[in-house]
Amino acid sequence: MSETLTQPDATTAPAGETEINNYTINFGPQHPAAHGVLRLVLELDGEIIERVDPHIGLLHRGTEKLCEYKTYLQALPYFDRLDYCSPLPMEHSFVLAIEKLMDLEIPLRGQYMRVLFAELSRISNHMLNLGSHVMDVGAMTPNLWLFEIREDCMNFFERATGARMHSNWFRPGGVRQDVPLKLLTDIADWLDTRLPRLFEDAISLVADNRIFKQRNVDIAFVSKEDALAWGFSGPMIRGAGIPWDIRKSQPYEVYDRMDFDVPIGTKGDCYDRFMVRVEEVRQSARIMKQCLNEMPEGPVATLDRKVFPPRRAEMKQSMEALIHHFKLFTEGFHVPAGEVYVATESPKGEFGVYLVSDGTNMPYRVKIRPTAFSHLQAMDFMSKGHMLADVTAILGAMDIVFGECDR
Amino acid sequence: MPSVAPLVPAREGLIDAVKAALGPAFLSAKDEVGEVSIDVARESAAEALTILRDRFDYQQLMEIAGVDYPERAERFEVVYHLLSVTKNHRLRVRVSTDEETPVPSVTGVYPVAGWLEREVFDMYGVLFAGNADLRRILTDYGFRGHPQRKDFPLTGYVELRYSEEQKRVVYEPVRLAQDFRTFDFLSPWEGAEYILPGDEKAKLPEAKGAPTPLSADEIKEADAARSPAAPPPPTPKTTEKKSDTGAGEPANTEAAKPSRARKAAPKTDAPKKPRSPRKPKGEA
Repeated sequence: MSETLTQPDATTAPAGETEINNYTINFGPQHPAAHGVLRLVLELDGEIIERVDPHIGLLHRGTEKLCEYKTYLQALPYFDRLDYCSPLPMEHSFVLAIEKLMDLEIPLRGQYMRVLFAELSRISNHMLNLGSHVMDVGAMTPNLWLFEIREDCMNFFERATGARMHSNWFRPGGVRQDVPLKLLTDIADWLDTRLPRLFEDAISLVADNRIFKQRNVDIAFVSKEDALAWGFSGPMIRGAGIPWDIRKSQPYEVYDRMDFDVPIGTKGDCYDRFMVRVEEVRQSARIMKQCLNEMPEGPVATLDRKVFPPRRAEMKQSMEALIHHFKLFTEGFHVPAGEVYVATESPKGEFGVYLVSDGTNMPYRVKIRPTAFSHLQAMDFMSKGHMLADVTAILGAMDIVFGECDR
Repeated sequence: MPSVAPLVPAREGLIDAVKAALGPAFLSAKDEVGEVSIDVARESAAEALTILRDRFDYQQLMEIAGVDYPERAERFEVVYHLLSVTKNHRLRVRVSTDEETPVPSVTGVYPVAGWLEREVFDMYGVLFAGNADLRRILTDYGFRGHPQRKDFPLTGYVELRYSEEQKRVVYEPVRLAQDFRTFDFLSPWEGAEYILPGDEKAKLPEAKGAPTPLSADEIKEADAARSPAAPPPPTPKTTEKKSDTGAGEPANTEAAKPSRARKAAPKTDAPKKPRSPRKPKGEA
């Protein structure tokens, strides 16, 4: 933080004629608590925040424009690069939008796989967010423990998809390939033993901690009306007390078969948002256990070869498989003309894709609805009247990642 | 319904009710793939959204998307995505505009529209009347142009680098190390718009056997019209005498001899020596 040098000196001014000038400081773009490249222009009155003007776009890469020049399959990896803390849920919305326009059917095992790994992404995302939130307000140890869990999640992703982060694993029609049985049993073991032990240990350090509560309770109230008017979603709207979860109310894939609870906050402050995420981790673990129990055998992707490529081994023998592979990876499949808006419950909130297709092999328009965009806009009214040090707590409880916000 | 996308339950009679409520502002509506979108007159966008929020319970504005259709008279479409958390329904409202005509801002209806409109302005140059803070939001400070327009090149116009001499970041016109490549894999049988090099020749028959849409008679006529007079056929090659071998004089004289004489010709090469029997391996 670089402060301007012209601070008014109240002691030298004559009594009664004290002239108070607000002064402006820059928070970021390179600040460890800004969670990326965020520049906040803060207008301060002493240490009280009068106005916040977030400047975003420092990580703008033109994803939407690039997608218009790529086939649907080639556009998919860009979605991993949006919210790089939880890449699979980003792919999820895009893949579902394509499937909705094409009216594709997904085998049941593929749906279970997607839900299983979407929930694993949610856990891994919340580990990062909860950890960095507590570190922003001064606690060091929980972050290290939570990163242990995140590392486990990364290893699971690597074993399933071959990549720790940018997996490109959800494909139109299913998932890229099946996972070994050993991985599923390992995940089940991990859910039963390691995850609860590490997670509950780490949370027990902060959940009832006096300092943590002093920094978070009653900070940045958001009423239900404000949460609706400012387009909140995900843990932010649930923290404000509105039980809205797309997995429950507009279920996709096999979420309607899952038994889970939607935690909501009672006051709508930073502490509520934190605790909503903590409970979501437990619920995600519950969903994952149900997935592992109920997962049927069978293909993980559609057998429609005009959409999903054949297995590599099949290509060595079958001319038809080779032709399908060649056509899919050069021309790609065609999506019927139309427009569709598909939103899923990503770990950070409603992540939507508005897809306009003109019937060719490339999207005409892909509009990405990031979660952080509307949350960050609310930064102004949420931090008004708070102290400068509360900015990091408010930001931490928002869970913002700039790959997604700036696109 | 086979697709596994988020299931939004239908709202019965929504389109009729909205049509009655909006009056002349309502232009058209459609219900495709389970999603309702309505077109609304541009001037009354804000009033229409107010009615939708207050009387149809669409409490949240989730997204404003711009779309560019350069071939239309009003080339831009501004698409509002509304969500009702009480009725559990999504609705799409579309408004069209061009480069100059502003769209009324809906910041008074949904405060979240502030940044969403800024983004549409930044990306497409659509103006919003009544938005107090219509600055650029995602592009660089001092950026020119509106990058999401279809006529804006993918590579942009300027690039920036750190200049070691000037000790600061400098902007320069884009220089591509190789030409910008677009791969259009659309099949020519499925209505690709481009003409491949050589396609223009397909109108005329080229050679016998070349694929052509013309019929055989047309080809014959065209051939007759193009070739003025057929050259006289060359004298056919005949071999009437045995001596016409065409392989030169020695062969001719040899061929002219009676076959018996040829056979009786003395053999010049020495008689073959019988091969020595092969020694079995392993013996010295």
